[in-house]
Amino acid sequence: MSRLYIEGDMARFIKAEANLINVELYDGIKFDMLEPRRLFPISGLNKYITLLDSEGNEKAIIRDLDSLIPESKKVVTDCLNEYYMIPKITKLVDSTDKFGVLKWTVETDHGIKTFDIRNRYSDIKSLFDGRILIRDSDDNRYEIPDTSKLDKKSQYLLYLEL
Amino acid sequence: MSIQLPLKNKPISESAKEAIARCLTPENEILFTIIGDLTMKGKYGESILAVSRDKFIIVSPELEGGVAEYLHSDVKNAKVKRMYGNARLDVELKNGRKVSAFRFTYSVASLCDMAAQFILHISEGKDIDEEMEIVSATFEKLMSVCPKCGRTLLHAGAECIRCQSKSKIMNKLIKYIKPQTKLLLICLGLALLTTAVALLPPYIVRIMVDDILPSKNKGALTVVVFALLGAYIIQFGIGALRGYLLRISGDRIVADLRNDVYRKAQYLPMKFYDKTSTGSVINRIAGDTGTLQGFMLRITQEVVVQFFLLVGIILIMFIMNLKLTLLSLAPVPLVVVSAKIFGKKIYPFYKRIWRRWSAVSSILTDSIPNIRVVKSFAGEKRAVSKFERYNEEWRKVDTASAKITNIFPSAVSFTVMCGTILIWSVGGNMVIDTGGAALSLGLLMSFITYTSMFYGPVNFFAYLSDSYQAALSAAERVLDILDAEPENDLHAGEKPDKVYGRIEYKNVNFSFDRTKKVISEVNLVIEPGDIVGIVGTTGSGKSTLINLLLRFYDNYEGEILIDGKDIKTIDLEYYRSSIGYVQQEPMMFSDTIYNNIAYGVPDAPIEAVINAAEIANAHEFIARQPDGYDSMLGERGVGLSGGEKQRLSIARAVLKNPSILVFDEATAAVDSETENMIQEAIERLIKGRTTLMIAHRLSTLRKANRIIVVDQGKIIENGSHDELMALKGKYYRLIEIQSMSEKVRKSKEDENFE
Repeated sequence: MSRLYIEGDMARFIKAEANLINVELYDGIKFDMLEPRRLFPISGLNKYITLLDSEGNEKAIIRDLDSLIPESKKVVTDCLNEYYMIPKITKLVDSTDKFGVLKWTVETDHGIKTFDIRNRYSDIKSLFDGRILIRDSDDNRYEIPDTSKLDKKSQYLLYLEL
Repeated sequence: MSIQLPLKNKPISESAKEAIARCLTPENEILFTIIGDLTMKGKYGESILAVSRDKFIIVSPELEGGVAEYLHSDVKNAKVKRMYGNARLDVELKNGRKVSAFRFTYSVASLCDMAAQFILHISEGKDIDEEMEIVSATFEKLMSVCPKCGRTLLHAGAECIRCQSKSKIMNKLIKYIKPQTKLLLICLGLALLTTAVALLPPYIVRIMVDDILPSKNKGALTVVVFALLGAYIIQFGIGALRGYLLRISGDRIVADLRNDVYRKAQYLPMKFYDKTSTGSVINRIAGDTGTLQGFMLRITQEVVVQFFLLVGIILIMFIMNLKLTLLSLAPVPLVVVSAKIFGKKIYPFYKRIWRRWSAVSSILTDSIPNIRVVKSFAGEKRAVSKFERYNEEWRKVDTASAKITNIFPSAVSFTVMCGTILIWSVGGNMVIDTGGAALSLGLLMSFITYTSMFYGPVNFFAYLSDSYQAALSAAERVLDILDAEPENDLHAGEKPDKVYGRIEYKNVNFSFDRTKKVISEVNLVIEPGDIVGIVGTTGSGKSTLINLLLRFYDNYEGEILIDGKDIKTIDLEYYRSSIGYVQQEPMMFSDTIYNNIAYGVPDAPIEAVINAAEIANAHEFIARQPDGYDSMLGERGVGLSGGEKQRLSIARAVLKNPSILVFDEATAAVDSETENMIQEAIERLIKGRTTLMIAHRLSTLRKANRIIVVDQGKIIENGSHDELMALKGKYYRLIEIQSMSEKVRKSKEDENFE
């Protein structure tokens, strides 16, 4: 079976429960309770959103989220925001190093958080597009989208570890 | 049961306590409380899940009234939905309503898993006290962390390997210096001698300028010239000897350190290698140990020598002229402050350079062994450009650090030289004004020489912190390996007389990194001598089941028992020696065929090795090799076909004579004819042994008396081939697909043959 790609106004998305959606295609085909997931969560692409049923089988792929009609785009975006929690660090408030474990207190778009980084060499990753990805000792993820937008102190504290 | 209730993972706020209390009747106590860190809208903040005997209560600022409560008896289903960076406790009530009850980050994921299971089991009418034992065990495991660094401990109350050793970092390094004490003391003695001799020449210069040259005393000149020659011979002759001895002790130190790091690296658990690149491990063994060696020599030798030199020069200078001495000390504060700033600036660069270099090394360790793939996909250009990109990153950082490492010391030296000019100016005027009465020319020249010598040790101590920083950063990475928790109880634990091969998985759950459960609620009993086929689609968790049995990962929940004993209580070396493991892609070492077969039993008799090769259907092809069993294999077994390597790995397993055999898709990558040969070998090998075979080919499974089907980390079907075919479930469908593709494969092979 060829893969079903959805784009533009060929489908309507309706919010079901939690992070699930119902999909109605223009030809009348319906899928209920699908879970949208990013195929490129790290790259941050707003394209190629796979839609999985409760068994984890793919039913369709949204080729480009931005091409959907605004209501549908909002429904899918809300679901994705519910599923993916990668707080964006806006300020590095404090960084201490004790016994080789880094303790960071940061301000994020989800609030203030303090966490430990066990291995600064593998848990702080600098990507070529300028973003910094961080993983804490509990496997939670964080992102610094643009280091140049951080204040001087945050930049300095980050600079010590990169 | 003596558990202090309620169990909780951290202190709870007074307002939350009151909110929970409002939902409780006096006779109903809270059994356990999970203090989470996310509100339902995904903002950071306190949220609480409190569980009592009959209900669970949620406290979260976004709930109406701040609280919600549900009776266990109203619950139809409760499960944790793991998402990306956060998770939810979803509850389905008997009235059909679905509720996302509690949202949290992975910090409390394992506790919430346990809570979901508890709520579900109580709603199904299971015994609360029995369930509470699981709850308290989960809390105990979570609380078994080092209070200092937060690392998981082997058990509650165990000493944290990392913190214990970090606080004794010097002791760790002294361990390597100690065996070289004699040699290092000799070097130190020689150094002190050369240093004392080095203080002589300026003094001799003063005598020459002030006394001998003006009095035209040729005899005295000859004596002094020979004295100078003698001083230089001693200084440089002994210096060379000392350098040689230092090299010997330094080499021994670095060799010991490297041996230890490599030895430790062998015993690190798989999870360390899952997260650490090969390049970074190689860098630590090759580069960082060298940096540490340099530092150790510096602190045991140079610190003493330079201190002696510093004190000696200051004493001589004070005796010569107090005023000039004070003048020459003037730039010292500037040097010290500059060095401090320098240290602060350069430290991040050391880490950064290492990171970039590690990335470059990782590309090397990745692409060079895969050179065949690179070539076959004409990927040379891409490989080169990727390498250049990373190398360029390294170059940029290294160049940036070069600015600091060169400008700072030059600026400091310039300041010091200005100090010397000052002495020339003040001292010169004194010589001219007093006609040499207050200060003679020889004394001035001698003084200036001592001043320039004086800044050697000053610089050394000023920049000692810099080399300390570099060593600290290297020590941190080396200790990351040396102090990493090794595979548990490698030489501890029981050694049963015999392993019969009864395997039991009890409530086993496992995830590599908390984000996704790979094994979920696995319960399985395999009797001694059973031949069990494990089937399932790719990524279903088959290999993970085996990895847990082999104890590559120990951080699973539940128990795995061998002959009724928890495998974690058995000596790991003994335990692994009783399991034969044949992988899909057999790994060979760059050694002879003989040594590759005898890898697990190096002292095996020659005939036993030949016999093992015979059983594995490998002897014939080995005998055909010009060098027979002495044939040298290239890296990773280059020179042999996939099937040949597989037969060698089976021979390796045969020689071990294990009680339990594990085959991980052993015939997946070979053609039908080779598969038959391997199959024959396997059949000979498995007689009377408990055997687990991960396979997808029906032909491989035909000997299995039981088959289990794994899907999304769970065992969904379990029975004989006939039973599962009659069930017409997942196994049936897999076999149908398999039979069809098998037919296509066979016919294609036949076509090719014709």
